[in-house]
Amino acid sequence: MLQRLSNLTLGLVPVVLALLFTTVILIIVGAPPGEAYRNILQGALESPDKWASVVTAMVPLLLCSAGLLVTFAAGLWNIGVEGQIVAGALLATWLALNLTLPPILFIPLLLVAGLIGGALWGLLAGLLRVYGGVHEIFGGVGLNFIAIVLTNYLIFGPWKPADGATMSGTDPFPPAAWLPRLGDLPVYPTAVVLALAAVALMYFALRGTTWGLKLKAIGKNQRSAFLMGIPTSRYMLGAFLVCGALAGLAGSIQAIGVRQRLIPGVSGGYGFLALLVVLLAGYRPLWVIPIALFFAAVGVGSPRLELSMQLDSALGGTLEGIIVLFVLLAQGVKRKA
Amino acid sequence: MKIEALDIRKYFGPVRANDGITLTVEPGSIHGLLGENGAGKTTLMKILTGFISADGGETRLDGRPVRFASPAESIRHGIGMLHQEPLDFPPLKVLDNLLLAFEDRLIPGRQQVRRVLEELCRRFNFSIDPDARVNTLTVGERQQLEILRLLALGAEVIILDEPTTGISAPQKVLLFATLRRLAKEEGKSVIFVSHKLEEVEELCDRVTVLRQGKVTGHIEAPFRAEQLVQLMFGQSLLRSDRSRVPLGEPALELQDVTVQTYRLTVSHMSLAVRAGEVIGLAGLEGSGQRLMLRACAGLQRPSSGRVRLQGDDFTRRSYRDFLAAGVAYLPAGRIEEGLIRGLTLTEHYVLTQRGHQPLFIDWVGAAEGMQHKIAEFNIRGQSGTPVEALSGGNQQRALLSLLPPVLKVLAMEHPTRGLDIESAMWVWEQLLERRKSGTAILFISADLDELMEHSDRIIVFSGGVMASPIDAAATSIEELGYLIGGVRDNS
Amino acid sequence: MRKRLFRLLILAVLALTLLPAAAIAAPPVQEGGTVYTIQKDDWLSKLADKEYGDPLAYPAIVYYNNLKAAEDSAFTKIEDPEFIEVGWTVYMPTAEEATAFLAGEVTGALTFGIVMVGPFNDHGWSEAHYTAGQYVETNVPGARMIWLDKLNVGDRPETTLEQVVDDMVAQGAQFILTTSDDFQTDTDTVAAKYPDVPFLMISGDHAWTGVAPPNVANYMGRMEYGKMIAGCAAALKTETGVMGYLGPLINDETRRLANSVYLGARYCYENYRGGNPDDLQFIVQWIGFWFNIPGVTLDPTEVANDIFNAGADVILSGIDTTEAIVVAGQRAEQGETVWAIPYDYEGACAEAPDICLGVPYFNWGPAYVNYVQKVQAGTFEQEWIWAGPDWTDINNRDTTAVGFIKGDGMTAEEAVQLDAFIAGLADGSINLFVGPLNYQDGSVYLADGEVATDEQVWYTKQLLEGMTGPSE
Repeated sequence: MLQRLSNLTLGLVPVVLALLFTTVILIIVGAPPGEAYRNILQGALESPDKWASVVTAMVPLLLCSAGLLVTFAAGLWNIGVEGQIVAGALLATWLALNLTLPPILFIPLLLVAGLIGGALWGLLAGLLRVYGGVHEIFGGVGLNFIAIVLTNYLIFGPWKPADGATMSGTDPFPPAAWLPRLGDLPVYPTAVVLALAAVALMYFALRGTTWGLKLKAIGKNQRSAFLMGIPTSRYMLGAFLVCGALAGLAGSIQAIGVRQRLIPGVSGGYGFLALLVVLLAGYRPLWVIPIALFFAAVGVGSPRLELSMQLDSALGGTLEGIIVLFVLLAQGVKRKA
Repeated sequence: MKIEALDIRKYFGPVRANDGITLTVEPGSIHGLLGENGAGKTTLMKILTGFISADGGETRLDGRPVRFASPAESIRHGIGMLHQEPLDFPPLKVLDNLLLAFEDRLIPGRQQVRRVLEELCRRFNFSIDPDARVNTLTVGERQQLEILRLLALGAEVIILDEPTTGISAPQKVLLFATLRRLAKEEGKSVIFVSHKLEEVEELCDRVTVLRQGKVTGHIEAPFRAEQLVQLMFGQSLLRSDRSRVPLGEPALELQDVTVQTYRLTVSHMSLAVRAGEVIGLAGLEGSGQRLMLRACAGLQRPSSGRVRLQGDDFTRRSYRDFLAAGVAYLPAGRIEEGLIRGLTLTEHYVLTQRGHQPLFIDWVGAAEGMQHKIAEFNIRGQSGTPVEALSGGNQQRALLSLLPPVLKVLAMEHPTRGLDIESAMWVWEQLLERRKSGTAILFISADLDELMEHSDRIIVFSGGVMASPIDAAATSIEELGYLIGGVRDNS
Repeated sequence: MRKRLFRLLILAVLALTLLPAAAIAAPPVQEGGTVYTIQKDDWLSKLADKEYGDPLAYPAIVYYNNLKAAEDSAFTKIEDPEFIEVGWTVYMPTAEEATAFLAGEVTGALTFGIVMVGPFNDHGWSEAHYTAGQYVETNVPGARMIWLDKLNVGDRPETTLEQVVDDMVAQGAQFILTTSDDFQTDTDTVAAKYPDVPFLMISGDHAWTGVAPPNVANYMGRMEYGKMIAGCAAALKTETGVMGYLGPLINDETRRLANSVYLGARYCYENYRGGNPDDLQFIVQWIGFWFNIPGVTLDPTEVANDIFNAGADVILSGIDTTEAIVVAGQRAEQGETVWAIPYDYEGACAEAPDICLGVPYFNWGPAYVNYVQKVQAGTFEQEWIWAGPDWTDINNRDTTAVGFIKGDGMTAEEAVQLDAFIAGLADGSINLFVGPLNYQDGSVYLADGEVATDEQVWYTKQLLEGMTGPSE
């Protein structure tokens, strides 16, 4: 019990420190901190529309986090998750622009396309890591870049709208390809269910299956795992595949749901944000949900800072980053002590 | 500077790495520190240089007690150590490496450092180009650079840990000349850590021999080789009665196998190990025995020759094929390579189950299964205990308990290193038991008693050359000691 | 200190505008307020605190004072609540009036939201809209602007137009202006979600084509005139006979503007310089978006340099930001004889005044005032407006939709010729969108003697024959 309590305080201290730190920044730039926080909260929670936006922002965070739980379990830093989102969106877009099907077939097909696109992109990072000896961080950074360049090429080239290419993306998809909303609210029930299911699935897979246990073994000690006879290469590739698939699903949802077309930067930085979510959650699946909620709320609430206080909305991102840094710092201090 | 170690003690769990070591090194002398791997030499030197702190005892410099919290502090007191792996910065230039040595002093200009370097090189007949990159230097030159660095930092006591590994003969001559000069002409204290008898004989004024964490003798030059061997390896124990088991068909064959790594090549190994046979692999660390063992387990692919398991050619097969064919490999680093830090015994149990593994883990069943193993192998721990919380002996027991019930070949590195007597005996009971079901055992050990006691045949490795197997019953521990220490047998 | 307090106050006002619009009633404006002369160390919230016991009540002073000032010149109009001067005479409303105002019970209080694609201070397209918003605030009593800039995938990849509009509506916005071609599709979607909120979508055509929901209107200035004048100015100046156009992305709008520049240049080169217009070289280079997004678009600074390196001595900007004139200024400092014509924002010449030949700019203010008043009066309706300059004075900030300010780089003689050209456009004696005109691929754009319709100008499918650069 005492242990639990001290763990809890240990978790809270960095959050409190981060808030203090951000408050100091706010005071330095001459903005009333209370107002700023209230604005973020209000901007995130004041209406059903806002709630819906927060939940929608949670979806890619949850999907990517679920995938990253797998790669982290295997000891892999899948920085390439951002590109995997994009790859999923690209494959989904290709089908959405070229096929005509009734929604009942079209939407599942596009979601599966996202899974496949992301999985292939993830597999590429995995192959580079396992057989090419390219560290997954460098491979991931490279593949992210390629994914972005490819997107821009497609938007400005083969997929440009009839009345001229623009940064605002391709033409909207046919309505049959749109992920249905919940009434008028900008929230997509299918996506929410899929995202929560993904987290739950990874929770059970990492806890209760030999697959998850073997991944953990590889993550903790690849040499020992290999000597025990675990096919480490195959499992690492598998981890990349799963993470890529979930990220790709997120990409597909961004394309056919939130944006209803392919835009440059379709990944929206959610992959990187999900890395922070998982780090902050300490790789514990269930913690991912509240933390993703918090990050999504800050993300949706921050533009309000500009609307009403003329503060740069990057403040929200700064707050998130600072919290993560303080949490990692607290863990480091704990380990050293 | 006179350096004294008084009753130094350092325990790692049950292992007494330094068990009351006392020695004195006089200024102007070269003091040898001799002992087999694991005798406690490195631990002692790490304590003297502040890498680790002792559990008991005292260090004195010129009679004053000192205590170092870090290597930096020890070098400030004038104690410098030349490590086996050089501590330089390979991609940098020689000059920059020396500059870095001064980082916490007033930074002298490059020109000044260059002058110091050139002056030192003249003094010791070194020829190091100040502008060469360190990674283009030979190991010997890097050693020279390191010595210069220590001198530049004002070291009065210079400790060298196995400095002759990997350097050429002329460089060795130069190194020895340098050390003599440092001691005789400049009055430095030199501690020369080695397990090579002939080098110690050639160089040192005085030798302290360690064995299993204790000092077994201080001897002044001139030395008698037999005396040193005896102090290093101890008196041969009474040979226990060994129950010989009838040997079966060849379980493992090496046919003219050559293994190459960037460090070492071991050529033309041929051997047939029969079911139930125990082969001991002896030699100084890095002599090739480990490569051979790994080749036997499919972990090191031979560059030529054949590896056969029960007659079948496994030369190009994967480690997992070897596993499936009944080969097991237990590495020396039990927690580094054998077990997985952070996972519990039960989780290890699940991971090492052979055959069909269900997707969903039956945790209750697995915990029960592990509980049986714990009882059977007398492991002090619970099924939910993370393996890193186990003692070394219990980790070894856990590893043994996780081996599959039937094995054709068991390859082990240092089966009892670091274990207390009771655990060591128990481990061998378990191993020898396996012979009855036809398991062939190959093991590496630095413990001559262990090699003599348990092997049917012993193979000595030296500098990448595998000697012909000798019958353990037809040799003596002294002879083995000579062979390993590289001393020519005159008889 | 004052500034922070002001922010706090603005905040409070915005919070108050959250109150449902249904509660709005119109109390009569009472007489009986007081006349006050500003003293040293006064600021509005201090006065509000003294008078009404609430520093947050200062907007009421601004509102009622400006009403008074409109009918009685004895009162000074407060254009910026942060800025008052000693000696001004202001009207202080009664406590009842102030309370009613703060409770949102005064007709005419209207919050409008402007969404901008680039930074509000880009000295270009977005700043022109921001300035117009301020113009509305000073000219329509009770009108309040809220705004969000940099809504593009580079700066805010996570944020959608819908989220921004949700936010603005939640903050009480009753009228939304989406000020980029990029927002066109999303504006339709969001407008359908808020059928009771009027939207003004700038530069689009969906209200014309009937694609947009009924609460969306389109407005655009006839920048073709500004661009023709710019092209004329460039032709009057060029020595090398080579001019370059730094274009954004390629679509109907950007093509027609590039074409306008070219037509203006040809006309003036032939008629005022006596040159052969076919000798003019006109290079068009597109960067890919309205402004620089590193890693996504071409870097406009580099492209501008390329244009000069290709031999041009006049560069004309078609993008939202000021790289063209900045690069020209740098080159001029190094002794090159080069000139620039920026775009969008009336103050854009300030980047390098000496080499600026002038700037065609949008003056959105009058139109915005018009629409805000229509919204207030409940007469807003769907329409598609393509407004030209006020030909009596194309630089009259209270009437014109587009204008052209001559820069310091023009000589007096050139200025006279340019004025003649402008006069010709104004009286209709010069019409450049008349056939025969061919597209770049040689196909006919306008047959001989054919005068282009609005539709033909708006939907320009290619660059014109004689121009160098991609049409799509």
